Amino acid sequence: MSKRYPTNGQIIFHVDMNSFYASVEMAFDPSLKGKPLAIAGNPEERRGIVVTSSYEARKYGVKTTMPVGEAIRLCPNLTVMRPNFQRYKQASREMFKILADVTPVIQPVSIDEGYMDVTLCADQGSPPEIAEAIQRRITEELDLPCSIGIAPNKFLAKMASDMKKPMGITILRKRDLATTLWPLPIEEMYGVGEKTAVKLRNLKIETIGDLAEADTWQLKHVLGINGERLQNRAKGIDSRPVDPDAVNEFKSIGTSTTLPYDTTQENEVRQVLRRLARKVSDRMDAKRVLAHNVQLTIRYHDRRTVTRSMQLQDYIGTADELFSISFSLFEEHWNQQPIRLLGITAQDLAEKKEITQQLDIFSYEKHAEKEKLYEAMNNLTDKYGKHMFPDLSSTSKSTQVSTSFQKDFLNDYKK
Amino acid sequence: MKFTIQREQLMESVQHVMKAISSRTTIPILTGMKLEATAEGVKLTGSDSDISIESFIPAEEDGIVYVEGIEPGSIVLQAKYFPDIVRKLPQSTVDIESDNRLNITIQSGSAEFHLNGQDAEEYPQLPQVHTDNSFELPIDLLKSLVRQTVFAVSSSETRPILTGVKVQLDEGELSFTATDSHRLASRKLKLENGNDQTSFSSVVIPGKSLTELNKILADTEDNIEISVTDNQVLFRTKHLFFLSRLLEGNYPETSRLIPEQSKTVVTMGAKELLNSVDRASLLARENRNNVVRLVTKEGREIEITGNSPEVGNVVEEVEADSVDGEDLKISFSAKYMMDALKAVDHDQVKVEFTGAMRPFLIRPIDDDQILQLILPVRTY
Repeated sequence: MSKRYPTNGQIIFHVDMNSFYASVEMAFDPSLKGKPLAIAGNPEERRGIVVTSSYEARKYGVKTTMPVGEAIRLCPNLTVMRPNFQRYKQASREMFKILADVTPVIQPVSIDEGYMDVTLCADQGSPPEIAEAIQRRITEELDLPCSIGIAPNKFLAKMASDMKKPMGITILRKRDLATTLWPLPIEEMYGVGEKTAVKLRNLKIETIGDLAEADTWQLKHVLGINGERLQNRAKGIDSRPVDPDAVNEFKSIGTSTTLPYDTTQENEVRQVLRRLARKVSDRMDAKRVLAHNVQLTIRYHDRRTVTRSMQLQDYIGTADELFSISFSLFEEHWNQQPIRLLGITAQDLAEKKEITQQLDIFSYEKHAEKEKLYEAMNNLTDKYGKHMFPDLSSTSKSTQVSTSFQKDFLNDYKK
Repeated sequence: MKFTIQREQLMESVQHVMKAISSRTTIPILTGMKLEATAEGVKLTGSDSDISIESFIPAEEDGIVYVEGIEPGSIVLQAKYFPDIVRKLPQSTVDIESDNRLNITIQSGSAEFHLNGQDAEEYPQLPQVHTDNSFELPIDLLKSLVRQTVFAVSSSETRPILTGVKVQLDEGELSFTATDSHRLASRKLKLENGNDQTSFSSVVIPGKSLTELNKILADTEDNIEISVTDNQVLFRTKHLFFLSRLLEGNYPETSRLIPEQSKTVVTMGAKELLNSVDRASLLARENRNNVVRLVTKEGREIEITGNSPEVGNVVEEVEADSVDGEDLKISFSAKYMMDALKAVDHDQVKVEFTGAMRPFLIRPIDDDQILQLILPVRTY
């Protein structure tokens, strides 16, 4: 084992792609390099919002979630592009493949970031050497910038990767916390959102260091169990392992869409929900899962958002089922105000092969009709194995499935 | 009001009427229990407005004195404390007395309780049941009819009518049917002579009422009288009056759902099948629906398996007395199967299948009065 390799404790990397969507577009079309670039939901519509922007655009004050109109006002030279999720997924897959060459202990968190546990990778060099090699390969092979945080646990690695962007490699040791982490304002801490920050500031906790030293009992009182967890993180304690299977434990599949204009037309809602239901259903098919719960999201013109869900008797998965449940949720809960966004999420998922369906005396006949077919399929499967009946419809459809925040493809680097 | 009563008799009656008393009721006085003393004896009443129960303790019966020193009167007392008080009293007799300021004194030995009561005038009158639709049958038979069907009622309120048992009397044949739509239990009984004239189309009695009734009734061959009106059913024995509302709505027609032909018929010992399914279900509990699988094998062998991917699996081959017809692979809920086999209550059963996605029947081999139907589980 290399002498320079730490021998006690774990070494965790957090790899974070820098302005990922914009960087992928620049790699795809190098003429965009060095120019202010924003990727936005729907550039031609007034409500399109900036999903991500290049560092050049950020200099002008362009920010994520800013409406396109405002971004252009700030930065008149801004190039605005629609997202190409297929491209980003492809790039993401290649990126994770590079990480997988170092260690199989990778936990993809989203399309553009992931953790690696390199504790057992001493044979490949010191941790900074490994990080440099990863960064170099991603730059050379994919033409994409990334930042890497090196630390003894996931939280510190995540904080470290954030410290130097783009193309940074930051080592955060526990002994450095007092100088590097603790002076940071509390809002900078990963896991502290707006609301938590307000609560903490009310307790006169202004920096991460304040949090580390705060009274645990008081924190628990204000934030519950999360208070203690956050304090531990601030102290540099985080025992979560890097879990390569975490992606598999997806709890839900959902999609949403911002409408081109606010609407109160039930007809339009119906159409949008149909489209969303089809999308969700396709993605469920691709993952071979069924849902036991369906959730509808309605965002009103004033950005007030409600989610309502329905627990189901049986597992469902077809677009028609998803649509009729979400539409009935809509009818029940819509308050007649203009709607800006609609979303459908299938929750409480289970894999088809683990699901059994108790037939019902009043409706079993629709299953019984196909009895002979199922029987024949079962017999052939028993004889020749499960691959006898690949699901043609779902494999062909899965390639078209697209949304920004789905995680279900994050496994693909393993293929 | 004043009387001295045998504690054991009082306890039994209190426990009976408590079955009807709920702490969650919209009518506050119904959280109480009504006590009414007359020269004939003491009557206890409890009601949650769905079920009303009256239990009577005679002053004297068969030469045994149960209640003495009766000064007639009535009072409503708080049901929440009364059963525990009676249970824990030190002596075998209890003195109960109420004064005109609605104070109740309960005394046994040297223990003395004082409770605040309520005016019995404020307690709702139980509805009078006027009907010609009455018939009688032995209590133990009624209990077995209930036991063989009521477990199959639905526990979900999505179709309220299915939370009840359909009861029908037609040309002297009484039938009970219950289904939660996943299984169906039915039992028929030819009534003794004298009941031939009575018939009513069909009523649906809440499953909960029948369950409570069965708890109260002792296993005897004494008769119980059942009277049916449009919206209520009354069960009456010598000292018990049990009134339940009926469920409103149309009970789905179930007779056409019972298959008339079968493709695979298995006969075997009920206990062997039950035990084997029970064993298979040990490792099926982890999977959804507690599903076990039954496969016909060579000759008279059938294979029963349970399987949970994370835990393991169990395979058992059992020999049936006979297996006739087509080969079959079917999955079903172990719980439903065990419930049904217990309800059939015969040594030898006949299981009739019509296909892996169709309902199958379980019946005693030589008795067509009992029928259990189960819908299989589809596996993907």
